[in-house]
Amino acid sequence: MSRPSLKRSRRRKDRPSPDTLMSPEGVPLTLRVAGIGVRLSAQIIDVVITFTAVVCVMILLGLLNLTTPQTLYAIGAMAFFLIRIPYYIVTELVWNGQTLGKRMLKIKVIGHDGRSLTTHAVVLRNLMKEAEVFLPGTLLFTLNAATPLLSLLSFGWIVMAFLIPLFSPHRQRLGDMLAGTHVIHLPVPVLLKDLVREAPAKTAAGGKFVFLAHQLDHYGAFELQTLEGILRVEERQMATATYNHHRKTMAEILEKIRRKIGYADPVRPADHPAFLKAFYAAQRAHLEQRQLFGDRRADKHHAVAGNKR
Amino acid sequence: MDQTVGTTGFGGAGFGSTGVLRSARFRAEREADWRTLEKLVTEAERKGLHRMEFAAARDLAACYRRATTSLAIAREISLDRALLDYLEALTARAYLCVYAPQERLGGLVRRFFTASAPQAMRRSWFFIVIGFLCMGLGALTGYLLYFENEAWYFVFMPAELAGGRTPEATTGYLRSVIYDTNPDQSGLGAFATFLFSHNTRIAIFVFGLGVFLCAPAIILTFYNGISLGAIMALHVDRGLGWDMGGWLSVHGVTELSAICIACGGGVQLGAAILFPGAFSRRAALQRAGRDAVKLALVAAVMLLVAALLEGFLRQLVQDMTTRYAIGWGVGALWLTWLLLAGRARA
Repeated sequence: MSRPSLKRSRRRKDRPSPDTLMSPEGVPLTLRVAGIGVRLSAQIIDVVITFTAVVCVMILLGLLNLTTPQTLYAIGAMAFFLIRIPYYIVTELVWNGQTLGKRMLKIKVIGHDGRSLTTHAVVLRNLMKEAEVFLPGTLLFTLNAATPLLSLLSFGWIVMAFLIPLFSPHRQRLGDMLAGTHVIHLPVPVLLKDLVREAPAKTAAGGKFVFLAHQLDHYGAFELQTLEGILRVEERQMATATYNHHRKTMAEILEKIRRKIGYADPVRPADHPAFLKAFYAAQRAHLEQRQLFGDRRADKHHAVAGNKR
Repeated sequence: MDQTVGTTGFGGAGFGSTGVLRSARFRAEREADWRTLEKLVTEAERKGLHRMEFAAARDLAACYRRATTSLAIAREISLDRALLDYLEALTARAYLCVYAPQERLGGLVRRFFTASAPQAMRRSWFFIVIGFLCMGLGALTGYLLYFENEAWYFVFMPAELAGGRTPEATTGYLRSVIYDTNPDQSGLGAFATFLFSHNTRIAIFVFGLGVFLCAPAIILTFYNGISLGAIMALHVDRGLGWDMGGWLSVHGVTELSAICIACGGGVQLGAAILFPGAFSRRAALQRAGRDAVKLALVAAVMLLVAALLEGFLRQLVQDMTTRYAIGWGVGALWLTWLLLAGRARA
């Protein structure tokens, strides 16, 4: 928890990305920090859920004749207060850092050091949420023009509470900082099929595309993976118009590649996907091999960058 | 034209005998293992790690370690975006299952009341004493100022809090407020109203604002003490001192103590920022927060009890002595709990 103050003087660019977390195995893992927008959305879902619960309780109390018009507001405020605070704490405890809203949007609270969420952290970050947003928020609602100073103060307080995460690399609000937590996107593992494991791409006539080594020296990993994205579009279902548009994009890409690498033979439209797949396989094989020899090519500017060095 | 893609003039070292890319073979060989891990992770997330079978939990840890190795290798040898994304997501998720599982929740509430809360209170006795001092000195100030000049009363006492109990009110009116047999609110409504009355707000603010270098917490508590002293002085002046004391005791002992404890928590946070000692300010704040939060929770529970006493009991009990007995009896219970609970058995 304690951080040597010397570390603070490290320059900004030396710091690891906020998205990476060093596992005990020594392999840096990626846990993407959740932004303000998605967290606010989850919060709104939670407020709607708790508010619905309050309305139900109020209707029940009304049916039991326990409320009068004079006390309606006070009881309502109390019910909201008494439902809201336990709701956040209990859900985050039971689902290990996820309220219902967070579950829906697939975000999760984790310990800042990557360890388990302690009860203390959950309680603290949710109590601070009251102090940061809800209390000044209700104050803002109940105050009127007669007390401009207090209204301004609570408004300024809320603005500050929302600004603090913007300046923190882990998008931590005050409660997160105190509790030592931050919120991440829960990664969803989906394994798409390997494009090069499919049958080797052939032309309609049964021939194969052959690329020479110098033809594969133009591009880097970025272009390769962009091409991979384009090829994977074919795996999806799509409308005819979209498909035609996709074929047009492919044709343009193919022309660009052909010109760049100096591939002389013309490619018939029916062979476009096969050509691109074959090029992808050859290019990936080439780049992966270069990488094994210590020559990482990030993008097509690798030659220029290499010369500069 | 009948060559394989691999023999394109650079030896084909990336290909095995099957003519498949090294990275593709790497993936094919391990894919089943990753799928197993995926299943185990889903199970662990659904059931919780401590409810999984031994074999499954053991496999989860082993598969996770193999997957991190795969990830490290894949980052070096593969340019397959699909594979890299999948492994990143899978290992991250498995990491959370293995290293950040859910903490056990059994006995959480019981542990809080029987051990951690009273222990935290005893650890931070100094700050709680500061809280009580702020309130006490404030009350003394208000009391003395009232006797110096009655006009001070209007300075300290917000009109809506006084509820007509001003130096201009008749003694009869003051007595009627204290022994009010027919209040306009009772039961749940009164409970709610009292809970969200002035004092709860004060308690929340003295705790929350303590972070700002203690000053707001101390000033607010002191100010609250002043109004308390002033209203006491008003009643003492009219010869109603003991009656007012009884009226206030029923809930006040608990409620005002809650404010003092909340103030103690706030001051503790502020002190961590002012005097962080050997830690960075953030680390000091995090350390202080461990006890301060427990003080805040205790204060919240006490405020709830105070609202119960105020909403249901105060109007039922009209006898002064009984009021004193109830108020201070409950106070003694709090003190006993604070002093005796959670001590290790000798």
